[in-house]
Amino acid sequence: MLVTAPLAEFCTLTIDEIYGELPSRIYASLLMRGRSTIQQLAGDTGMNARQLRHGLALLLQHNLLHYHLDAGSPHYFYEANVEHAYNLARTGKILQMVEETHGAAAKDVMQTIILTGLTRVGDLVDAYQNRIDRMNRIKEKLKAEEDPFGNGVESHEVNGEPKPKPTPQSSKSDPLISSIADLNKIIYKLVEAELLIGVHKTSFESPEDLLATIESDIQKTYPGGEVKGNKAKAEYKDKVAEALRKNRSESRSLKRKLEQNGLSAKRRKLFDGAASANVMCINYEKCLVELRNRRLMHYAEEAFGQTTSWVYASLLNLLSKDISRCRDDPITDHYEKDEEKPAPVVVTTSQLLDVLKTSLDLSVGLGQVDADKISVTAAEKIAELPPRKKFFIDVQAEADANASSDDDDEGEDVKPATNGVNGVNGTHVTNGVNGTAKRVDRRTQLRQHLLLLSESTQGFLRHCGAEEWTVDFVPLMAALRQAEIDATIENTVGREGVRLVRMLRAKGKLDEKAIMSVALMRKADMSKKLAEMHKYGFVQTQEVPREAKADVKKSFFLWYFDGTMALERILDVSYKTMIHSLQVLDTLREKDQHVLSLIKRSDVKGQEDDKLRKIHKEKLTQFLKLERMLLGQIQRVDDLVAVLRDY
Amino acid sequence: MAAPNSEADQAKLQIFKDELYDTIREHGSETRVFSQADLKGLGVIPNNDVRILVDVIQMLTNEKLLIGVHLPGGELGWKWRSREDAKKYTSLPDEPTRLVYGEIDQAGQDGVWIRHIKLRINIQDATLKACIKFLESKGFISSMTNVEMPNRKMYIRADLKPSERATGGPWFTDGELDEAFIKVIEGIIFEYIKTRSAYFSRGTVLPQRQPKKGVVTGDARGVKRTATDISNDDATPAPAPATKAAPPPPKGKPMYLPMPAGYKKYPTVNDITEFIHNQKVSTAMLGVADIQALVDVLVFDGLIEPIQVHNRKGYRVVRPTKQDTVSYAKRQQDRESHPELGDIVLGPPPLSSAVTEAPCGKCPVFELCQEGGPVAPSTCVYFQEWLGLKEPAVATANETAPL
Ligand code: SF4
Repeated sequence: MLVTAPLAEFCTLTIDEIYGELPSRIYASLLMRGRSTIQQLAGDTGMNARQLRHGLALLLQHNLLHYHLDAGSPHYFYEANVEHAYNLARTGKILQMVEETHGAAAKDVMQTIILTGLTRVGDLVDAYQNRIDRMNRIKEKLKAEEDPFGNGVESHEVNGEPKPKPTPQSSKSDPLISSIADLNKIIYKLVEAELLIGVHKTSFESPEDLLATIESDIQKTYPGGEVKGNKAKAEYKDKVAEALRKNRSESRSLKRKLEQNGLSAKRRKLFDGAASANVMCINYEKCLVELRNRRLMHYAEEAFGQTTSWVYASLLNLLSKDISRCRDDPITDHYEKDEEKPAPVVVTTSQLLDVLKTSLDLSVGLGQVDADKISVTAAEKIAELPPRKKFFIDVQAEADANASSDDDDEGEDVKPATNGVNGVNGTHVTNGVNGTAKRVDRRTQLRQHLLLLSESTQGFLRHCGAEEWTVDFVPLMAALRQAEIDATIENTVGREGVRLVRMLRAKGKLDEKAIMSVALMRKADMSKKLAEMHKYGFVQTQEVPREAKADVKKSFFLWYFDGTMALERILDVSYKTMIHSLQVLDTLREKDQHVLSLIKRSDVKGQEDDKLRKIHKEKLTQFLKLERMLLGQIQRVDDLVAVLRDY
Repeated sequence: MAAPNSEADQAKLQIFKDELYDTIREHGSETRVFSQADLKGLGVIPNNDVRILVDVIQMLTNEKLLIGVHLPGGELGWKWRSREDAKKYTSLPDEPTRLVYGEIDQAGQDGVWIRHIKLRINIQDATLKACIKFLESKGFISSMTNVEMPNRKMYIRADLKPSERATGGPWFTDGELDEAFIKVIEGIIFEYIKTRSAYFSRGTVLPQRQPKKGVVTGDARGVKRTATDISNDDATPAPAPATKAAPPPPKGKPMYLPMPAGYKKYPTVNDITEFIHNQKVSTAMLGVADIQALVDVLVFDGLIEPIQVHNRKGYRVVRPTKQDTVSYAKRQQDRESHPELGDIVLGPPPLSSAVTEAPCGKCPVFELCQEGGPVAPSTCVYFQEWLGLKEPAVATANETAPL
């Protein structure tokens, strides 16, 4: 991730928002200066040793730092972990995702772990055991009465203790988790889904440090520590990649351990002994995969409607069981030989059929047409290999190249029977709702949706073998990034602006005359639009001098679209929007400080309704409304950032 | 050149001249260039006597019935001109006028820029103006505009239509882009593609997502938020088909649905051209290339997309389920009785973009804005408006400001 100034500022503000000023100042200093020792930090921040230790401990506890100890050196180097800090802003989204895919109890566990930071399995079990015991006691004692405030503890006020004991959040009278067996089951589920991973000894190394260590280790195995010759270099690259992958798989050792122990037999004993000493943390990489799935479903819904998008969501769910991260790392996931590359994950029609919600009606959402209007061979086309190019740019050019414009008899067989949803021969039935439609079996209906996705210009799906389906995430996400950029441009400068952008993207550099003739716009309008977009950084110009001696007055200008620049510009605006939203929120908070300090008082907390005066209550409601607007906005901007940067 | 002095010779030449001219005309159009060998091949001049041939050609050239042109390689060649056109030349009063007319004539359908005439025949401004005035009054020439160079004063023979290149094709009227006309045709094309590339469902029963309401609670909110509180409870949550049962189907509303994969009838440019033709919406001849130009614009606008099924390249509407189901004709009618509805906007609104929803995305002072700077979030009026804390200024600055 490229750490730009606004991104750094946003991370610092987020840490300030959640953990307070002290850690955020340390974090800011680390971002500014880069890796630092504790002495350097003391110099930079002017904090005393106690404050620093306190702040660093908190940041470490929440996995917001990398640290590194050079062999033989007495000092640790600390470095800001920007990825994790940024991901704090996604916490709500992640919890929501966990709740929806694994249930409320799983969300509760996840939330507890997020609030605690790095969590020892044993501590987590203890904490829940305490809570369960207390619940049971309360139940016994006050059988008739309901528990008014079972939680008592707001655990986000982490007081800088290096290893705070986790505290379960939920306070509702109905315990989400009523036994340790339940808890074990949930932990098992979350670990199996890789949403939780074990911490191991290189977990806190920054990627650069890790790479450097591994590289130097491997270099040592070569004579003289030097890698000479092309063949050796290729082999070296492979070895480094392999070592990195091996290191990466360490984090899954917890999962392996659990899998070996098995869940069924001695459930209660699951975390006895060594296993309970394991430290877990949230695995953002995998969480992002899940969040990406949701985003993709949203895109599919835009393109084709709900039913198809739900099918797609189930498919992605299945598929991503074996996907650990959104983007491959160029070094770690490098394979010298193509054959060694792991095969893309594939889902079969039957697998998908097995997991589809039975209540999902597949007969809707697709048009009904006569069988003879469908080309079965075209629909069923199997593409064994991923698209070669960034096809979303070339789709038009390519279509131009090998399409005759109006020839539609390709002399193929037309077999109505294979035509599924549409196989209602000739009779126009309203989408199988009124029951007169011939019954089409579910598998055929399902395939209709899959084939539709496979035919999409965005490349949602690839029919990669008989009854086999896969997703080429790289080109798909590129297409969606482009769609997001276009949407942003369109919302900023209007449809004519985005028309010019798409044109320049498809045709390359053009002068105004050429643009005008293709865009069918008045010259004045077009020039104005281009100038406007230039200011926003959406289009670029290149000066072409007419003579050897460049004279600006005589030169003419070519316009072009640079996707990377536009993307960076939009990211920049996004970060700043998020920063500004937080700052506006801070201003509001200062304004309503009085009320907000009221509700912090222990005699008011939890009983705002009774204890607050009307005017204060109104103020509070208003403040909470604005706060929700601002935080919601940040979440939506983050959705965009995620697509542009992370997915 | 020998001098055929006798009257008989003159008469003979006259005959040869007429015959040669007629024969030339039989052998090709006004654009064909005849070389000397071609003319010999016509066999009009007895024994192909070069001397006589040259004399005859000279006579025809003088009478403006033949136009000399240089062939590549330096040889001379000739094109013929109709007697009618030639007469125009001979009727002109003086040499400058003839030269000016000649330049304009030569430029043909592309027309010629007045400065080029001046440069080529090296003529005084005043004279040139006089000539042009005379020719215009005679109805021999008329002014024209070239869309590519709209500021140039151009002239064309009055009996010729400006070339497509000069007029810009049917989408231009008098050198101006005819936006109203384009809008109409665009609307018709879009509607045609929409209704033929998506399936109209009168009342499909569709499962519906249930929006989750963010609940307002004041419970235990401190001054600072915990990480877990930062959630998008304001945003519409995505439904999770994997765990949630689909809600009972409500009564459906009409909508467009995507066609199944392999659909063979997505309209092609030829289909569209033919349709427009049959609609008789325009007297202008709209060729396939003209329609293609408009279709391309619709593609660049993100309203339709090319889709290839086998070797047939058709077009289909994007995001069919989001399309307006009210027909274009109906929407047009509505606007006749309610002009306040404004122009018809084709297709659904663009995908929303989070950065442009917030004030900063369109902020005129974005580059300057910084805490501690002259403009700062803590004092930002746009945010106040956005949060509903302040009435928007008369013309909202974020919409009109140029940045
Ligand atoms: S002035 Fe307001 S709207 Fe503009 S960038 Fe600053 S905070 Fe955003």
